[in-house]
Amino acid sequence: MAATQINRALDFVRDAFREAGVLWWRFFDWLALIEWRQLYLVWFLVFVTGLFIKLTEPAIWFILISFGVKVLAGGKRRAELLARDASTKADVANLERRLTEAQMATLQAQVEPHFLFNTLALIGQLIETDQKEAARVHGHLIEYLRASLPQMRSAKGTGGTLGKQVELSRAYLAIMQARMKERLAVRVEVPDFLGSAPFPPMMLQTLIENSIKHGLEPKVAGGTITVRARVEGAILHVDVLDDGVGFNLHAGNGVGLVNIRERLALLYGKDAELVIETPASGGACVSIRLPYRMTEDG
Amino acid sequence: MAHPHPTALIADDEAPMRDQLRARLHEAWPELRIVAEAANGVEAVALAAEHKPDIAFLDIRMPGMGGIDAARQIYAQCHIVFATAYDQYAVEAFEQGAIDYLLKPVTLARLETTVARLRRQLDRAPQDIGAQLAQLAQLGQQLASQNQASTAKPDYLRWIQAQAGNSLRMVSTREVLFFQSDDKYTRVQTATAQHLIRKTLKELEEELDPDEFWRIHRSTLVRVDAIAEVRRDLRGRQMLSLRGYPEELEVSRNHGTLFQQM
Repeated sequence: MAATQINRALDFVRDAFREAGVLWWRFFDWLALIEWRQLYLVWFLVFVTGLFIKLTEPAIWFILISFGVKVLAGGKRRAELLARDASTKADVANLERRLTEAQMATLQAQVEPHFLFNTLALIGQLIETDQKEAARVHGHLIEYLRASLPQMRSAKGTGGTLGKQVELSRAYLAIMQARMKERLAVRVEVPDFLGSAPFPPMMLQTLIENSIKHGLEPKVAGGTITVRARVEGAILHVDVLDDGVGFNLHAGNGVGLVNIRERLALLYGKDAELVIETPASGGACVSIRLPYRMTEDG
Repeated sequence: MAHPHPTALIADDEAPMRDQLRARLHEAWPELRIVAEAANGVEAVALAAEHKPDIAFLDIRMPGMGGIDAARQIYAQCHIVFATAYDQYAVEAFEQGAIDYLLKPVTLARLETTVARLRRQLDRAPQDIGAQLAQLAQLGQQLASQNQASTAKPDYLRWIQAQAGNSLRMVSTREVLFFQSDDKYTRVQTATAQHLIRKTLKELEEELDPDEFWRIHRSTLVRVDAIAEVRRDLRGRQMLSLRGYPEELEVSRNHGTLFQQM
């Protein structure tokens, strides 16, 4: 019994010390941050209160101690503010560097050699067996390359409306359908009125290529890819869904996703996001969400 | 001749490519009978067992099981010829070794060389290419993981799954600023959002890349790349500030050595 009581008392003392420590540091922070003018006012009030209740000595001690602490801590605090200012500047420089890097990465050719060689092999084969189909696939390939090769894109790097991006994706999807045949079904659910909405280039394309490459091509039975767009509130949602093999939790982010995330952050700050989900039914759903505008200058 | 009518199997996931190879083979080797066509590696192995062809033409890239893995199961029973449009690593390996291969689109001249070689080999048992195939399979895997993000090492957790209504939200570890354990859940903080997951901090620490995330406190795992600066506050505690996040994180004394060089 006695032992537990002693323990309890010890606990209490320990708690009291801890609490006192916390209070002291709170006081310290408060002193470091408070303005001198306010501190004078506090001193005056403490002194006057001290006079009233006839405790001038503790009041004077308080004033002396707080003066000392303020002088010491104030300097440290100022140094800290300067350091923070410097790091803000470094952040701005960092941001500029990242913007350049992200743009450079987008400018690099993103056409996969695999895709190109396989498509050319297909066209070569179709020339022998089905020339009309060969001409069709050939046309789509040119359209795709025009959009994907940086040298072919407009110098402004914009020219991005959702309609244009969807059109380019259709070219790519048509080629993949010619190759994968019944293993690939495509659904595009983008209302016409969203066609004029500004949308950054090569993002939708990357999502679709990922979805086919990682979701549907590895799946023996193949599946369906759905591209859909809608406006919710003031936010434009562009989703790419598939019922493929789904995510490998241990596979790293491809360069594509990293680049999209980076460019979204640089273009729209926190107003845009890249949301990746596994629907209850399996597969993958990747969604780009950014502020909706009706036209490029709207 | 031991094989008046040799038989072959063709495996390629793209039907037009199978059509092309079949047509070319018909020209280059009219006696050859194509006894089976497969659209993936699993089918190829099953059909090879069923039809026992003398030769298998295998595309390297196929869904489910690729050509190299399929070959590892059937190389003892039949002669293997690979087909590829682009797999440079494999082509180099084939050139050094004795494995035959075709580049797509297959030209008649190239196919005739292969056919001539196959005619000579048909009477013999297929070569033992098991070791070479094992090497190739390994090489292919290495290449695949290299093609992931450059820093990716296999087997570390790269995606965090958080319940969001009916679906699972996938949060890339590159988006995460830090993990912090609450009573029942672990909080996943990104620059824009916060999620709660059931995985404990201990489990996360075991599964995540230790170079990507550091334990700085009993209840905090922080992504190293997100750290903007480390400073000592007025009480002498080490505090981390993060890029794109207003609050600071405390480094507990046990883990303070992480930043002692700074």
